[in-house]
Amino acid sequence: MNSIIDFENVTFRYDEQEENSKEVLRNINLSVEKGSFVAVLGHNGSGKSTLAKLTNAILVPQEGKVLVEGIDTADEDRKNDIRRKVGMVFQNPDNQIVATMVEDDVAFGPENLGVDPKEIRRRVDESLKAVGMFDYRLHEPHKLSGGQKQRVAIAGVIAMQTDCIVLDEPTAMLDPRGRKEVMDTVKRLNRDMGITIIFITHYMDEAVQADRVIVIDDGRIRYDGTPGNVFRHIKEIKKIGLDVPQATELSYLLKNDGIDLGDVLTADEFVSAFEKLRR
Amino acid sequence: MSVTVLKTEKLTYIYGIKTPFEHVAVKNINIDIEKGELIGVIGHTGSGKSTLIQHFNALLKPTEGSVFVDGVDIWQDKESTRNARFSVGLCFQYPEYQLFEETVGKDIAFGPKNMGLSSEETERRVRTAINFVGLDETYLDKSPFDLSGGEKRRVAIAGVMAMEPKILVLDEPCAGLDPKGRDTVLSLISEYRKNTGSTVMIVSHSMEDVAKIATKVLVMNKGEEAMFGTVDEVYSRADELVSMGLNIPEITSVFLKLKEKGFDVRTDIYTVEDGRKELLRYLKGGSAK
Repeated sequence: MNSIIDFENVTFRYDEQEENSKEVLRNINLSVEKGSFVAVLGHNGSGKSTLAKLTNAILVPQEGKVLVEGIDTADEDRKNDIRRKVGMVFQNPDNQIVATMVEDDVAFGPENLGVDPKEIRRRVDESLKAVGMFDYRLHEPHKLSGGQKQRVAIAGVIAMQTDCIVLDEPTAMLDPRGRKEVMDTVKRLNRDMGITIIFITHYMDEAVQADRVIVIDDGRIRYDGTPGNVFRHIKEIKKIGLDVPQATELSYLLKNDGIDLGDVLTADEFVSAFEKLRR
Repeated sequence: MSVTVLKTEKLTYIYGIKTPFEHVAVKNINIDIEKGELIGVIGHTGSGKSTLIQHFNALLKPTEGSVFVDGVDIWQDKESTRNARFSVGLCFQYPEYQLFEETVGKDIAFGPKNMGLSSEETERRVRTAINFVGLDETYLDKSPFDLSGGEKRRVAIAGVMAMEPKILVLDEPCAGLDPKGRDTVLSLISEYRKNTGSTVMIVSHSMEDVAKIATKVLVMNKGEEAMFGTVDEVYSRADELVSMGLNIPEITSVFLKLKEKGFDVRTDIYTVEDGRKELLRYLKGGSAK
């Protein structure tokens, strides 16, 4: 497997001074394949945001190693290289926009990297096109909708030509339309540009669209597999305070009633499984 | 007998009037809300939901039209306006950012104190409110900043409940919470309504959440009242909801799609358990409900 991010026996606690301070992540081993789309689930406090911050050296583990394309995130001299490879988008769209015009905001990253102005122009235009915000390049960011702001934030990350984007609950503060805009954009970047996506969310309908779902509970990886494989563990997932898609839950309840529809993740899959059963 | 507790008449609000940014945020809203109801307010971002609810406790003054609480026009005189501020409790989005006191107890007491209540009465209300949100009294001496996000949210909601408003209005009380946190907040809101008989409104983006607890649903679209009715009445108009940028619960869409494929199933299904019952009924070939 050609991996872009590797966690090797990673343990992390916030208070380093205190001997017995609680470990937020415990002995995590994880490889993220280049070009994959990984969804990370976990209840509040499970350690999933900490996991995200470890991927681009915002945090560095006390035990174990995090490698980004082989570079150890603990290597102070390589921090800029790491952040050029792995970009981050956060939950609150209002906290990550710095400029008064959309295109200036997107240019902020490459400018700081000392990229040639002509090249910046090209990258900004391309990034804005990639997220479907090119027509808004001269707008004021604060007048955009939440979904549009998040797409501008994503454009700011791609303008740095990162290979991997880590999004920490990017849809939590958005309405259904904004959520769909962000999800569609992220899927397109993954499919068309081969950008690796790590997508943290509480929404199960978003998680089922990933290639791989990782469930974190109490600082450990509890499940890791395809959405079908992970959501099969309905009872356990509910017990740790998470949900499964409603279509999946319905097929599970019916299975107990003796009606087997197989693994179902979406409304459409449910309907076609049901059609097959009745034919 | 039903009693109207909140009523709007031709309510219109325009932002930035006589400036280049003039914008009609809500337009000609006429609604009647009865005592004890739990109203879900839905609509896409910018549909006017938040502007509308800020009129209910006189934070905004209508550009045109009126708001009545218990039959009194809240702008008729100063006293009526002041009364509206206490009888309608408004809990904003992400209310935990507004916690500011040294202890949870003091924070919850802030509202009742400002109402001029005695310290005994304030004390009683603080204790009742903390119980309403499912936290025990040991929390009262803690700093609000030592709590988890979900706990902070509940303390902030308790601060509004402690004012014992006749109408409790919550703007996206579940935003940003994980599934378990969402369920906790929703059930405590239901319980509060049951135990106090108050009227409750919640603004939400989640059609699943609204289906779970609301007695009636108000749908806002582009500043106007698009629909106002029971959950069944509103959710059966799935196509219109989707065209307004809203979603219907996934379970409902399963049944709408089955129906489309020619299966004779009900489509007023909003919970997974109801879905199971309906499919079992269908598969047994029975026509009875």
